[in-house]
Amino acid sequence: MPGVSSDSARGALVPLSPESPAAAVYPLRHGLKSPISRLSISWSRGNSLRVSVFAAPSSDGSVNDSDGGKVVEVKLGGGDGEISEAHWRRMAYGSVSPFALLQSRKNAVSSLSKMSMNSSPYDGDWWDYIMEYSKDINALLVNQKSASVPVLDDPKSVITKGEEPTSLKAAWELLEMFYAEKPSHSWLPERLVDWLADYDSLFSGTHPTVHSKLVDFQKELVNLQVVEDDPKYWEVMSSALAVGWLNIVVKMLRLHGSYRLDQLSNRETENGLVEAVAVLISKMPRMRLEHEAGKLGECYKAKPDFVKAWEKWRGQINKLDSSAFWFQCAHQQTREGLRSMLQIMLGNANSLCSATYNWIELYISHFLYMRPLTVGLESMYSLAQKSIQLKPMASAHRLMGLIIGILGENTEVVLAECLKGFGPWMVAHAIELLTAGSDHAEMLLHEERQNLGGISIEELHRLVYAQVLSSFPLTWQIAPIYLISCMKHGMVLLQILLSKQPVQDNQLLLKSIEICRLYELHSVTSNIMKIAGVHHWKHGRKGSGVFWLQQARDEYRLNRIALQLFDSVGKTISDESFKQWEGLIQLLGSDSKTAGGLEFLHKYRDFKKSLRQIHDGKATDSARQAVESLISLMKNPSTPQRFWLPLLYDSLKLLNWKERPLLNVSQTNLLLNKLQELSMARLRPDFIESELPPQALNSVRLALGTNLGRAILEE
Amino acid sequence: MAFAESQNPLRVYRIPQSRYIDAVRWLSPVSPSDRFAAIAYFDADTNSPSIEIAYVDPNPQSSSPTLTPQSSWTSPSRISSLRTAHSTPQPLLAAATFSGSLHILASDLINGGVMESEATVSQLGFHSGPVSAVDLREGGTECVSVGEDGRVNLVSFVGDSSKLNYRRIFDSNGLVGYTAVKWASPSEFATGGYGFGIQWWDQRTPGGPVLQFKGNWCQGKTSGIVHSIDIHPSRKHTCLAGGSSGTVFAWDRRAAQQPIVLSGAGTGEAPNSLLSESEVWEVQYDRYTRRSNIGNISSTRILPVMICSEDGILAVIEQGEEPLELLAEPCAINSFDIDRQNPSNVICSLEWESLAILTRS
Repeated sequence: MPGVSSDSARGALVPLSPESPAAAVYPLRHGLKSPISRLSISWSRGNSLRVSVFAAPSSDGSVNDSDGGKVVEVKLGGGDGEISEAHWRRMAYGSVSPFALLQSRKNAVSSLSKMSMNSSPYDGDWWDYIMEYSKDINALLVNQKSASVPVLDDPKSVITKGEEPTSLKAAWELLEMFYAEKPSHSWLPERLVDWLADYDSLFSGTHPTVHSKLVDFQKELVNLQVVEDDPKYWEVMSSALAVGWLNIVVKMLRLHGSYRLDQLSNRETENGLVEAVAVLISKMPRMRLEHEAGKLGECYKAKPDFVKAWEKWRGQINKLDSSAFWFQCAHQQTREGLRSMLQIMLGNANSLCSATYNWIELYISHFLYMRPLTVGLESMYSLAQKSIQLKPMASAHRLMGLIIGILGENTEVVLAECLKGFGPWMVAHAIELLTAGSDHAEMLLHEERQNLGGISIEELHRLVYAQVLSSFPLTWQIAPIYLISCMKHGMVLLQILLSKQPVQDNQLLLKSIEICRLYELHSVTSNIMKIAGVHHWKHGRKGSGVFWLQQARDEYRLNRIALQLFDSVGKTISDESFKQWEGLIQLLGSDSKTAGGLEFLHKYRDFKKSLRQIHDGKATDSARQAVESLISLMKNPSTPQRFWLPLLYDSLKLLNWKERPLLNVSQTNLLLNKLQELSMARLRPDFIESELPPQALNSVRLALGTNLGRAILEE
Repeated sequence: MAFAESQNPLRVYRIPQSRYIDAVRWLSPVSPSDRFAAIAYFDADTNSPSIEIAYVDPNPQSSSPTLTPQSSWTSPSRISSLRTAHSTPQPLLAAATFSGSLHILASDLINGGVMESEATVSQLGFHSGPVSAVDLREGGTECVSVGEDGRVNLVSFVGDSSKLNYRRIFDSNGLVGYTAVKWASPSEFATGGYGFGIQWWDQRTPGGPVLQFKGNWCQGKTSGIVHSIDIHPSRKHTCLAGGSSGTVFAWDRRAAQQPIVLSGAGTGEAPNSLLSESEVWEVQYDRYTRRSNIGNISSTRILPVMICSEDGILAVIEQGEEPLELLAEPCAINSFDIDRQNPSNVICSLEWESLAILTRS
């Protein structure tokens, strides 16, 4: 992590709220009967703690099953609740590609704008890229458990249950509409109306909402014979109208008893009024691009057209409101209910306030009926403040805090709300949207800060997210994507992350090495390989150990383990065990650079092979080959000294070759010199005596002497 | 590089699993329209490994295939290698684990895919450390297991003995580690390991491998590990192997120590179009071919090969031709299997906890 300044109050990386919730208690199920003497707590993967519980040894010295200890994992916190761990991982996987694509496009755009000085980096395809990124991320947030949509349209079902909405998706859509959509802020009020229609139910958990009232009424509706007698019917309809759910209101109006065929004749006027209101509702002018098919209301793109239609529509409502037909309507609830709906449509502040249940709903109703021409964040913000004053709330939903932050154009508040409400994934990905079009936000988030150890806010949040990814065994592999986008500390943290990965399993090891290869971290690669080599070696997998050390070109360790190998060579490299060694020697190859001191083994094998062929009776040719191997072994500095005598002793047969001397004068002299060197070395205290018969040295010396004489004679 | 979409239509479906997939295999179907797959899962949330038999509905109303779990078996440890033998209606599965045990499972596909553990070897000394690969002899009653500990074990199972007996064929005492194994005939099999080495074994000649393919053909520059071997029943003289650095090569036992390199960096000869530079996790002969008759292909030519790799490539390689890329995923493809009965179907496991099902037509 970036350096934390000593003054923790100023330099806090992640804000800790002083009013943090009461301490959580997690029971430990360790099952130990004896008293516990010691506890050790460390982080396990993700949000888990690993607690090692050590039992006190029983006093009477008897041994029980529960002696010793237990290691248990404790999972902290329940996560989001809304999003399962598996869904969270799916989001993490899915957001890698959009994020990486956007980064590479950003780099391309910025290098292009450097080339041509005058053009702004944010034009052309830039907004398309941002929007594509936002849509890709948004698509990941769809909850998998979507409810099935009924095939038949139930006339009594006023609200249809689609997919279960999540706060995370709602928050992302807010950010998308305010930051990613090409700034055409005149549509924003209508976008918010749609947004609330999708996500009003999210507030039901903590606040009364129009949605929850509708759901309650839906349950009662089945048992109601005469809906228009129920005051709730009118109440709920007014509320739905206030937040602009026109289709639902019209559908509910049509449930009115006066539509029934048997009553149509004696409630003609009443029915006419109900239908007139329904028609007015479905003709409501809206200032927006277009509607989804089947949605009620009439759309106007240009402001003058809208204003004209709006005035006309209100005129019609006023006319209906002051018409004489109301006196002929005998049903009191209908009369009052319909007229209060007209008041809502006319934008009566008191009616709107009483029809809505929280400030966001009130806010939306103001957009719809009082100030449909609201433009600009400033006026939207002041309207929101007014709504909050009218409908103050004890506790704020996390989405409400986000909305206030966005409307207040306060990037820091938006970031803080994202982090507090939705976690590091949200912040790391939302920053891309926040900086998309605002130079101010870009400066704020990209500025290097002394109190953050010299990194920017953007980098900080990417690092935090990468840390979260790194702590899970299934997601650590995607952390590098985020780390390399961090200019200051990313590379170092990536190296640490890779160096900390386990090396026991080849597949995981190779995956780490692959990441090193991608980012050209050659020193990390060779370190990991060395660790793996030593690990395998220590666990008796000599072949694997040698392979990894060879790959790492670690001559030092190869030479060290060579010494250990030679110990077992001296004892076991008999003819029978040769097959075991064959594979290892092949692995070593003949390239002395990668084999280190182990090159000796290769030559030793060749020598033994030709010696064996002599035993098999294949005459002089193999003997000559054996002599050559012997000489090259003895000449080679990598041949350990303690093998000199065994090698010579093995070759007694060659030295005493009957037909003619196989070694010439200089070769014999070389061997004699080595023998002399060996005799001197025996005087040193660290000399390792070989397991040969005591007369071995003398018989070799004698054979060499004899051979020298014969060789001189021959020459 | 050729892309499959342009040449022949290919349908790809990705199915998120919410669990890591260690291995995936098709099971031979009972009827031609059925599809069953055996999937080795690892649930990271609960730390529990298991093998599940799933019914793969290729085309329900929702137009993308669905997996319906039929039965599940909880494994004592994560699965390192999974193989199936194609016998109906009770296909056998051999599963090797990271804790060094081997399990033979039988699944009854007619009665709802119930899976039962037939037998288990988990004695100390069977393998020390993980079993790195296992292969089940086709229709037979034997399987061979290898490990990095250098042991080669032959496990025979007859009838209903729940304790399996194994025979140690070879033990290199860790001097040589094995990472892949494949039967060639009832008595012969091939193993692969470090340094791109391949060993040929014949049970009739005990005491060690009868032939060795020296792995140092690439002069130590790009040495690597063999991850997977395949041998075509009609071409038993050729071992196909895939491993590190995108290397795919074939070793013709009749020929010298020179490999036929199909793909990879260590060639040095005419630059093959480089398909992948990372680990090739699995190789299989691709029995799905546009040519009507395999017999028409000359016996010196290597048959088409499918590979999957760490950098997310699933591709078909034909000797001397441009490789055909079927998938290019943003994450690793760890294993795949080609349906024996209907080779146009391929199932593969992706690093990001999902399966992909491909249908070629």
